[in-house]
Amino acid sequence: MDFLSDQPPWFVLGPCLGLLVVGLLATLNVRMGVLGGWSDLLDRIDGRAGSVSWKSWFFLGVILGGLVFHIAAGTTTTGVGDGYGWLSREFSPPVVGAVLVAAGLLIGYGAKTAGGCTSGNGLGGTSFGSPAGLASTATFMGTAVAASLLIGVFV
Amino acid sequence: MNRARPAVVATAFGLAFGFLLSWGTLTDPDTIHDMLRLRDAYVFLMMGAAVAVGFAGIRLLTRRPRRAAVTGDPIVVRTDAVQRRHVVGSAMFGLGWAIADTCPGPVAAQLGQGLPWALCTAAGITGGVLLFQARRRARRPVRRAIGQT
Repeated sequence: MDFLSDQPPWFVLGPCLGLLVVGLLATLNVRMGVLGGWSDLLDRIDGRAGSVSWKSWFFLGVILGGLVFHIAAGTTTTGVGDGYGWLSREFSPPVVGAVLVAAGLLIGYGAKTAGGCTSGNGLGGTSFGSPAGLASTATFMGTAVAASLLIGVFV
Repeated sequence: MNRARPAVVATAFGLAFGFLLSWGTLTDPDTIHDMLRLRDAYVFLMMGAAVAVGFAGIRLLTRRPRRAAVTGDPIVVRTDAVQRRHVVGSAMFGLGWAIADTCPGPVAAQLGQGLPWALCTAAGITGGVLLFQARRRARRPVRRAIGQT
């Protein structure tokens, strides 16, 4: 499907994601979030949780969404072929892999500590008008912009 | 109520989310890098529009008491007061986000799209979650004993 190879306008994509937040609350009475499902699934795998939670199904759905997009669009949108973003332009593949693992540790540990990632706090928490969601979003946005501008000084 | 229905609904919402993240090229590290270096406003505008619609939609939905369509629970919009952990954790997360130019949702969608690099980021995130859980259990043995972890 050709239209999938063009990025949709922000005023189409944004409201669609906003409606997903509203829809999850309206149907399941829950706040959207990806990392919670990731975490719940690990609990299920090591036997600490007895069943697969709705969050874990949501997380597995996101993986499926990437797969369905790839099939429907006949292409990926990961920039693959150009390596992995700025990291591949600066470093050799083994270094890129190690840096991604380290960054992943910060993402996983930090977002669990804060009770949400970009979806949980950034979309869900802010839409709920939660002070913790707003403070978290302001902090990770501010930190990420500052860190990226700093990276830009060196690369 | 059929126990399978919430799982199917949650999977469908996840699928839509992963599909839309992919279509919006939020799975491309350069999209996020250009956003965070303030070179392209697309993701900021998109997230702003998402929150505006989400916020307005939730206000409309909760103007009167309602029950969730699938689970039948009374709908509750839970909000939390700001604690130190929200700021400290989000600063760590923001640093990781800036380095890898991706976060848990797009990593899951990257895995679905078959990007091998996503395995590295996913391994790191999994390690970070496990480390957080292990530290929390070590700190709160009493709560674990009564099943409130």
